[in-house]
Amino acid sequence: MTAAGALVRLIAILIVAAALPARAEDAIIGRWEGGARMPDDELNVIVDLAQQNDVWVGSIIIPGLGVKGTPLTDIKVQAPDVNFAVKGPLGIQLNLRLLGANNTLAGNFEQAGNRALVTLKKTGPPQVEYPPRNTPVAKEFEGEWKGDYEMLGYTRHVSIKFANHPDGATAEFVIVGRKHNVLPVDLVTQEGEMVTVDSREMGFTFEGRRKNGKLTGAVRQGAIETPLVLVRAK
Amino acid sequence: MTKQISGIVALLATFCAATAINAQSMFRGDAMHSGAYVGPAPREFHRVKWKFPTGDRVISSPVFKDNVIYFGGDDGNVYAVDAATGRQIWKRATNGPVPATPAIADGTVYVGSYDGKFYAFNAQTGALKWKFATDGERRFEAKGLHGMQPKDQTIADPFDIFLSSPVVANGVVYFGSGDGNLYALDSATGDLHWKFKTGDVVHASPALADGVLFFGSWDSYFYVVDAATGKEKWRFHGGEDSLMHNQVGFQSSPAVVNGTVYTGCRDSNLYALDAATGKEKWKLFNDLSWVITSPAVADGKVFFATSDSSLYHVVDANSGKPIVRQQGKAFMFSSPAVAGDVVFIGVLNGTLEARDAKTGDLLWDFRVEKSKRNNGWVLTGDRKFNVPFLYHSNWREAPLVATDQEIRIGGIYSSPLIVNGVVYFGSADGFLYALE
Repeated sequence: MTAAGALVRLIAILIVAAALPARAEDAIIGRWEGGARMPDDELNVIVDLAQQNDVWVGSIIIPGLGVKGTPLTDIKVQAPDVNFAVKGPLGIQLNLRLLGANNTLAGNFEQAGNRALVTLKKTGPPQVEYPPRNTPVAKEFEGEWKGDYEMLGYTRHVSIKFANHPDGATAEFVIVGRKHNVLPVDLVTQEGEMVTVDSREMGFTFEGRRKNGKLTGAVRQGAIETPLVLVRAK
Repeated sequence: MTKQISGIVALLATFCAATAINAQSMFRGDAMHSGAYVGPAPREFHRVKWKFPTGDRVISSPVFKDNVIYFGGDDGNVYAVDAATGRQIWKRATNGPVPATPAIADGTVYVGSYDGKFYAFNAQTGALKWKFATDGERRFEAKGLHGMQPKDQTIADPFDIFLSSPVVANGVVYFGSGDGNLYALDSATGDLHWKFKTGDVVHASPALADGVLFFGSWDSYFYVVDAATGKEKWRFHGGEDSLMHNQVGFQSSPAVVNGTVYTGCRDSNLYALDAATGKEKWKLFNDLSWVITSPAVADGKVFFATSDSSLYHVVDANSGKPIVRQQGKAFMFSSPAVAGDVVFIGVLNGTLEARDAKTGDLLWDFRVEKSKRNNGWVLTGDRKFNVPFLYHSNWREAPLVATDQEIRIGGIYSSPLIVNGVVYFGSADGFLYALE
């Protein structure tokens, strides 16, 4: 090989190398759009995947299923394989593989024991949605609050206990009716005198306003809203 | 002498068998709605004897008379089909879906339609004998029903799926209506004898025993009236639910056996009431899961199932004490039918189940093709309803569409009929099936 030939070859290698992502995983970063082929129907699926401080993050949109910007969990990327889950009542798992010229993710969309083929095409940079975070709550909210409400003919006892932590407040949300239910809390926020405790998994939300030493508001389950006044536990 | 006794026994046996076969000509077998059938029942599934196609879902339960199967279709037709071959003998159109079970008496088929009319057809030819206009048919409805939005808008109940099935006795035909009335008509002419007004939709089928009619209404009351006069004898108050109208109303049809009335209720109880006084003997609470199925009563036991919790129950008829409790796959609206030592029940996931009457164990099941295809992932991989997938929104028509998707999977709402070892039932896939 002549020196000129070697130079041409080196330039060619450099051009190709420059065109490739720095790492194979980088090809996975982006917005991916496509569909899952269910029997007699197709489900539109939009996935955003990105890296934040070398940690994979992502969110998913499924129009028609009420899924918008839901965070991805258990993201595992070992190029060319990409696996992640969507937790919650739907319980979705996607097992994908990067194909072709790095612009297709294809694999399986699994939900409740059903499996469909899914094909996603890269359409642009990621637009990951981040879930809202717990805010701190004012000192006046801290501690345990109790109250009762009536639904379907019997009384339910509610207890909410707020505590502040460096990364925001937490709440223990307990409803005792015929059964003792400890609700998993996703979100605690305070805005002005309003405080909200949300248990998305159970579909329960408490929203109350602090006034005259009480939290006056409502407990909501789906479209059903029942007034609830919480007072300081003795 | 021995020969004479044998002869009498044989004659009696023939008479009893004839009576039993006749007791398949109205909903739940007879006027008391026991849901118990005499004769052999298949403990094993061999084959589909035939399946008869219609133009829409079949919610109605089949009845049998003189080797003919009669049933209604949501395509608006009333059908007469040869029980042996599955060939159509006649069909007769009404102007609305017919999710009611016909009653056959004196060569006449009696059935109501969603067109608000009640019909009498010649059982042999399908020729119309008479029809009677009620004050109009409608489904149960309420504001914010089942937590649907908008909560201040009236929504018709997608789960109010059956129409009242008639009973016929002593020249009178009795049936309930969405107009809130229980009607008593002359079975020969269709002339009104009397009507009894309740506070809401009556889609349960009245049971008749000792000249008394027993039926529930969606107004939360269970009524007992004199069959001759229509005068109220007593009423029983079931649960109320002013919040979302979910835990209210009698959709289940009662069974009256040995002086006790058994009925399911949307308040999630199965009630046993004294037939003479209406006094509650016992009740079984089902944790907010509706009891839509009409209970079957046989051998001192009550057989029923629940909707959301999908539980199959057998309880002692006297005490209500649980004998069998089996977890099913999906909601059950189909009323169980007991034949010999087998109980047959339809499941809304498109499966017919045959269970051992003593243990409740599943002997065999049959799944319709539409259920196997599972279009739109209505079902999970293990045949349960894919509830979070279907009911992801409570806004506007979303829950109604979801319910329609559930129905389209081929759900079996129809109560099975067992004749000569053959099991007949309808499916929401549009077919009437005969299995042996």
